Amino acid sequence: MIRHPVAWGAWTIAALAVAFIDRNPYVQALLLLAVINVYLPFRGRHLAGTWKFGLALAVVPIVFSAALSRFGRHVLFTLPPIPIIGGRWTLDAVAFGASTGLALLLTVAVFAILQSTVRSADVVAILPRPLYRAGTTVALALAFAPKTLAAFQSIREARQLRGQRAGWRAAPALLLPLLLTTLERALQYGESLDARGFGSGRRSRYRPFHWTASDLMVVIASLAAIVAIALLPIVPYNPYLDLVPAAPNPDRLFAVGFLAVPAVIASLLRMDHARPHA
Amino acid sequence: MGGAAAAALIAALLFVRPAHAAMHHAALVIQHASGSVITRCVAFAEDQITGLQLVERSGVQYEAQGFGSMGSAMCQLDREPSAVPPGCFGSGPYWQYFHRQGAGWQTSALGASASGLHDGDMDGWRYAVGKNQPPGVVAFASVCGAPAPPPAASATQVAIVPSQATRLPIATPAPRPSLEALLPSASPSPDAVLTSTGPPTQPPKPAAMAPWLALGTMAILLLTLGAINLRRRGP
Repeated sequence: MIRHPVAWGAWTIAALAVAFIDRNPYVQALLLLAVINVYLPFRGRHLAGTWKFGLALAVVPIVFSAALSRFGRHVLFTLPPIPIIGGRWTLDAVAFGASTGLALLLTVAVFAILQSTVRSADVVAILPRPLYRAGTTVALALAFAPKTLAAFQSIREARQLRGQRAGWRAAPALLLPLLLTTLERALQYGESLDARGFGSGRRSRYRPFHWTASDLMVVIASLAAIVAIALLPIVPYNPYLDLVPAAPNPDRLFAVGFLAVPAVIASLLRMDHARPHA
Repeated sequence: MGGAAAAALIAALLFVRPAHAAMHHAALVIQHASGSVITRCVAFAEDQITGLQLVERSGVQYEAQGFGSMGSAMCQLDREPSAVPPGCFGSGPYWQYFHRQGAGWQTSALGASASGLHDGDMDGWRYAVGKNQPPGVVAFASVCGAPAPPPAASATQVAIVPSQATRLPIATPAPRPSLEALLPSASPSPDAVLTSTGPPTQPPKPAAMAPWLALGTMAILLLTLGAINLRRRGP
């Protein structure tokens, strides 16, 4: 099972490097296929919403590029001279926006996989000693935001159950209970840290991480992908020059294939890695 | 799933275009401030070249300056102006760049290094003051002639076809003597061809199949892997 945060961190960096360095649509499509492959065995509970968010985010550059760019030869239609959006709308601009949007979708998907496979506690556990306190503080602060949001929702629901009005005008009445709840939670965090002896001496490890063969394979494959993407010649894609992308470099395609190693390992181990921390 | 993968592979293979199947031609029209016009026809083996490559392969002297993603601007063309102005453009006239669009010219939205020319395209340059001053209208056929028959295998590939009637009747009392502008009149015989000034042209090459085979193979492998992981996760 792939569990080491460093392995997933290396995979994330490699996937992001491919997504942003090579904008050839064929490479992007293949990378999306590899990311979906990794997503399938490692998917968590709420990743479907993340994909929807990524798709919505991917549409934004397409709309902006098509509406604002007047370059290109393949005219879709021409609008009357309306400020900003008037003029020629071209397929070239749509293709440019789609390329950018696909890179954004890939970014969201890669981070969603990282979020579902790596716990913040695991990341804190492998931090070097000088960074341990700062890392714990950051992890607690990051965990605080969703809990505060959940507290806000529960307070609002409680008010609705009592027949009190909801909506933004009732927001000032929500702030005081929210502030009290947040302070109470902060005190609980502090007490639990005290109870665990946080900062009182040398850090101990309750469950130290061990590298597995799967972790090492993922790290090696990710490093190979990074090196290949950085060193191999790139086939640039500029839809304004040529709408039809040129054939990608075959070596780069195999570099993308390295990123599917976690999915290969999951299928070979015949284990269900989904919800590993449930 | 396997059928879809096979269809994707077949589509990818069918998508291969017979690149470099024939020589393409693009025309270049340069109009100086004096009104003198020179034209060039450039043959190229690629599917497309940039506007800057067209100028470079035409053999006309030029100095260009890059402006990031917008491409290169032309600072000096055919020795005009006599010295490259500061900041490329200077404060007076400057080289304006146009693409042939239908029967007229359209201002290029991109610099010469970022614009693409295909077979039958025409680029125009004019050294003038003020915006949107296109060169005179020149027919593509008058520069490159009628579509040429496929080049014989043994024939020497020609990168520049001498332009015909390069001096157009545009108000130009005293055309500035330019080496390139005088070249066509110096070789009036129909079989006189100039030596290539562009990069050496290569014989047509068959389309490379390796990238498409690699793409198809990788897509099939990933689709198969996805199907395995999807079934394993099933209820």
